[in-house]
Amino acid sequence: MAPSKTRTIKNKNAGPKKTDDEKPKSSKSSAGRKGPVNATQLKEKNRALLLKKPKRKTYTDTELNIPKLNMITPVGVVKPKGKKKGKVFVDDKEAMTTIMSLVQAEKEGQIESKMTKARQLEEIRQARKEEAAKKEEERKTKLENVKESLRKKRKRGPADKDDDNVKGASSAGTKAGKPSKRKSVSFA
Amino acid sequence: MRPLTEQETQTLFKKLADYTGPSLKNLIAPLDNTPNADRYVFRLSGQNRVYYVLLSLANIATSISRDKLLSLGVCIGKFTKTGKFRMHITALPVIAPHARHKIWIRPNGVMPFLYGSNVVKAHVGRYSEDCPEHQGVVVYSMEDTPLGFGVTARSTIEARRLDPTGIVCFRQADCGEYLRDEDALFSTG
Repeated sequence: MAPSKTRTIKNKNAGPKKTDDEKPKSSKSSAGRKGPVNATQLKEKNRALLLKKPKRKTYTDTELNIPKLNMITPVGVVKPKGKKKGKVFVDDKEAMTTIMSLVQAEKEGQIESKMTKARQLEEIRQARKEEAAKKEEERKTKLENVKESLRKKRKRGPADKDDDNVKGASSAGTKAGKPSKRKSVSFA
Repeated sequence: MRPLTEQETQTLFKKLADYTGPSLKNLIAPLDNTPNADRYVFRLSGQNRVYYVLLSLANIATSISRDKLLSLGVCIGKFTKTGKFRMHITALPVIAPHARHKIWIRPNGVMPFLYGSNVVKAHVGRYSEDCPEHQGVVVYSMEDTPLGFGVTARSTIEARRLDPTGIVCFRQADCGEYLRDEDALFSTG
């Protein structure tokens, strides 16, 4: 039924076209007398048609028999009208196992990376500690060497000039020796 | 009660995987090899609580109206309003057999832990090797009784160098909550 209806309406709208079809017929059958009359009538009709806007029927996509691939919404997307979206529950065993294995793999990776990171940091810390210990050791040995050299110098003999100097310096530093001048305060 | 959505399931499993090892999948494995074998499932209640329950029991429970059904199976925890999952102490029997990392505490540390304090180095009897920082752990007494769970404050290597009063594990739930939070733990309002 639908196609026939559409045809009639189309014919109505496309009035002048139909007349165009008739035009040559009339010209063939009779002389050019009828031609101009028809033309005037058609013009009037046309004018009327132009003035009055025709009521257009709206078609649904199913009525038009459009091929499915040529539709506005793609074939795969089916949107039910007026329906709530709703939640999609995961209750079957397979889906749950899949999610669980995914999550576990992710967690496993995270823990692994954490551990490797911790190990690396630990290695760095250990290396720093060793370096610090080494430096400390070096400093200590240096100090020991200086001490040793000083001791050796002192043992060489008290008569040496150098030794006197050292003695003087040490006495000044440690307040061990007697002061040369004693400060006195006098009360008048 | 309703099953969980994909997002919710993922959040829940992520939280559970914090504490448990690869044997976690045994939680949802069917009880036997028959084709229609019963299995455990997770159900979400109206108060956003997640229950670990036998499928057969969950199916029977559909005959009870939603507002009249207060609790079913074992409560694992609840979803917060921001969509995160918070585990309750009631989940301890579920996660304890599958725990990945463990901390055993000495008898002198049991009571402080059960009263809600964190685990200090002096109270630790022994702990799992190769445990990273901020990793979920199950806390046991020296007699292998699960007491609660928490999150490590230091990795195992760092914890060794810690002083006796240093915190090794932050408490998240302990069995003392059964008494302390009796009102809130099973509240249905």
